[in-house]
Amino acid sequence: MQKFKEKLYNYEAEPPFEIWQNIAKELDGGDNKLASRRGFRKGSKLVFYGFTAAASLIIIFAVSVFFDASKTDPGTASNLLNQSQNILPKQIQDSLNLNNKILKEIINSAKDKNLLALNYEMSSRYGKKYLTVAGPECQPVKISPKVATLIESTDNEYPPKPVWNKKIEKWQQIMLGSTLSPTSTNLLDVIQLSATLDNNE
Amino acid sequence: MQELLYKKFSSKMYGVCLRYSGNTDDANDLLQEGFIKVFKNLLKFRGDGSFEGWMRRIFVNTSIEHFRKKVKLYNVTEVQENTIEDTDLNILDTLAEKDLIILVNELSPGYKTVFNMHVIEGYSHKEIADILGITEGTSKSQLARAKGVLKKSLEKMINKAGNNTINT
Repeated sequence: MQKFKEKLYNYEAEPPFEIWQNIAKELDGGDNKLASRRGFRKGSKLVFYGFTAAASLIIIFAVSVFFDASKTDPGTASNLLNQSQNILPKQIQDSLNLNNKILKEIINSAKDKNLLALNYEMSSRYGKKYLTVAGPECQPVKISPKVATLIESTDNEYPPKPVWNKKIEKWQQIMLGSTLSPTSTNLLDVIQLSATLDNNE
Repeated sequence: MQELLYKKFSSKMYGVCLRYSGNTDDANDLLQEGFIKVFKNLLKFRGDGSFEGWMRRIFVNTSIEHFRKKVKLYNVTEVQENTIEDTDLNILDTLAEKDLIILVNELSPGYKTVFNMHVIEGYSHKEIADILGITEGTSKSQLARAKGVLKKSLEKMINKAGNNTINT
């Protein structure tokens, strides 16, 4: 074995010339990368310091404005508190309470659509944007009053809305004859429905 | 400076790469990869040993890394005790280094790696086991098999040489 070692340990062979060129190229490329990375680090440091300075100035300004305001009008803070307590009119508060009640009842009994319709009617009176209903997993979902109308129209029991019922029936026929799979939570389905209805009209 | 270092050591390190790779394409890749590692880590050389030794270790490690991905070493239970020492070693004197390299490169990658590491580089079986992630037993069995194969190849050569002598 010693003879193998003696002969092979210092074995030499001439490598192809282009290897050095490849090495030189790779080393040059590596240096450039290193340089650009350093530049980036330097740049990101400057951005960080800039942001820190800006944030400090904003905090100082906000604190000084706050203390200045409390010095000039000591009653302002308590006034703001009172205002925030009175910010919701009683009617909206009642509507929200009703919403919560409906939500609880829908979770307990999914069939209670009359309450949803009632809340919808009240929503137009109070100018509410959303109703809260129970989702498929009984999670609270906010829906617009229009969608509430659509949902309740699927049930012919209450209250009868001939225009919507007609639309729903038409939609059901179209969907039965198509390959689309609509879901109540999918906005795209509603858009698709609307487009299909428009096309048919 | 880098070019000077390359010129001074490239042929020796190419020899190391050829011993481990067995073909020039892989050896070229290893040489390139190894020198890039050397140049990027020049500052890490602490001057404890010789520079050539440090460089050689980088090339050996690069070669091992390269082939560890490709080769899975299995423990060979059958260990042949009669090894290359039993054969006529005089033939080794007559063989050129290039022929020996060809002989070593005929070994399977697993045998060749262990043979190179133990016999040529002088690693212990424990060190080989640690580096290659195998057991000491596997390292020993791989070496024994490598020696067995080399022995057969050498015997063939001896027979061939003898026949040629008789014929002439």
